[in-house]
Amino acid sequence: MRAETEADGDIVRAVLAGDRERYAQLVERYRDRYARYAARMLGSRDAAEDAVQDAFVRAYDQLAQCQDPNKFVGWFFLILRNRCFAEQRRNRTKAPLEAADGVAAVDTADDRTETAERRRALQLALLDLTPDQREVFVLKHVEGLSYGEIAERLSTSVPSLKMRMHRAYDKLREQLRDHT
Amino acid sequence: MSEYDFHPLVKQLLDGDITIADLPAELRAEGEEALRLLAAVDRSPVALPAIPQRVMRALTRPPQRFPRWLLAPALALAAALVLWLGRSHGPMATPGSEAAITVHFVLSAPGARAVSVAGTFNQWDPRASPLVRAGANGMWTATLKLPAGQHQYAFVVDGVRWVPDPAAPAVDDGYGRRNSVLTL
Repeated sequence: MRAETEADGDIVRAVLAGDRERYAQLVERYRDRYARYAARMLGSRDAAEDAVQDAFVRAYDQLAQCQDPNKFVGWFFLILRNRCFAEQRRNRTKAPLEAADGVAAVDTADDRTETAERRRALQLALLDLTPDQREVFVLKHVEGLSYGEIAERLSTSVPSLKMRMHRAYDKLREQLRDHT
Repeated sequence: MSEYDFHPLVKQLLDGDITIADLPAELRAEGEEALRLLAAVDRSPVALPAIPQRVMRALTRPPQRFPRWLLAPALALAAALVLWLGRSHGPMATPGSEAAITVHFVLSAPGARAVSVAGTFNQWDPRASPLVRAGANGMWTATLKLPAGQHQYAFVVDGVRWVPDPAAPAVDDGYGRRNSVLTL
């Protein structure tokens, strides 16, 4: 058995050299890393699962374009991100209520509490943001990244992210006026 | 500005740049409202245990998927040709058995070490129907007897490169690749 600590770059190079089965190691390693991001972006665990699967398949197809194999996971994130944005464009007209139920259903212990109700309301309100606004909110307040880390990951500037986020705060406040 | 806009200082609170104690007294209530909003953020993890199996199944489901980096190399596949040579019947044809049609597959692959054809007629097995080198001009050929009907196929070069037949019509395989189509 290969060491779990084997570098991503070594695995990517092995796959590119023809050892395709090794790709399963990368999938196993990162299957859950961005699952929460995808679930919050798309509003449903099922949609997140489809998006993550599709992103891994696309990453495999385009593996030779991964310019720095040691940064596979950052490159993979951008593929998943594109997939999530494309999914949102496709489903722009879909009512998000059912989708938000799908995510909120993760909680069972306090389904009937006020906290659960607020949580569900926030998830619904998040789905009402623009994808750009939702993304920065999810990365900062769900994934816990700093503005600097988000800016690096998305190749953008901190002021631009803050502008998006501050608009998101106002919009969420309006959406949640009966819940906070 | 709308009545729902948070005060800039409260936005700084939400960003984590200041604490609620830093807010002037008149903004404390708004600050608490903002913190209640953040308290409702769902940070529970999402696990996708079936993903590795789903991904690897999608990558290996027949017809096998091969990424662009395996299709791209400098292999001079000049042309391919499928010739329908004629209809024949198996000598031991029994009542109800289907007519077999002789099909000649030709692929020009001068740099190849091995070529085969895989398709719906051989369960997409790249080892089932090898082509043989025909002369020194890089042509590879195989003759198969196939039942009437529609078949999908691709050439497999050196055991790894799946190449649709450029001389035949093709359909999407549902995974972003093209399969050649042969109707007999």
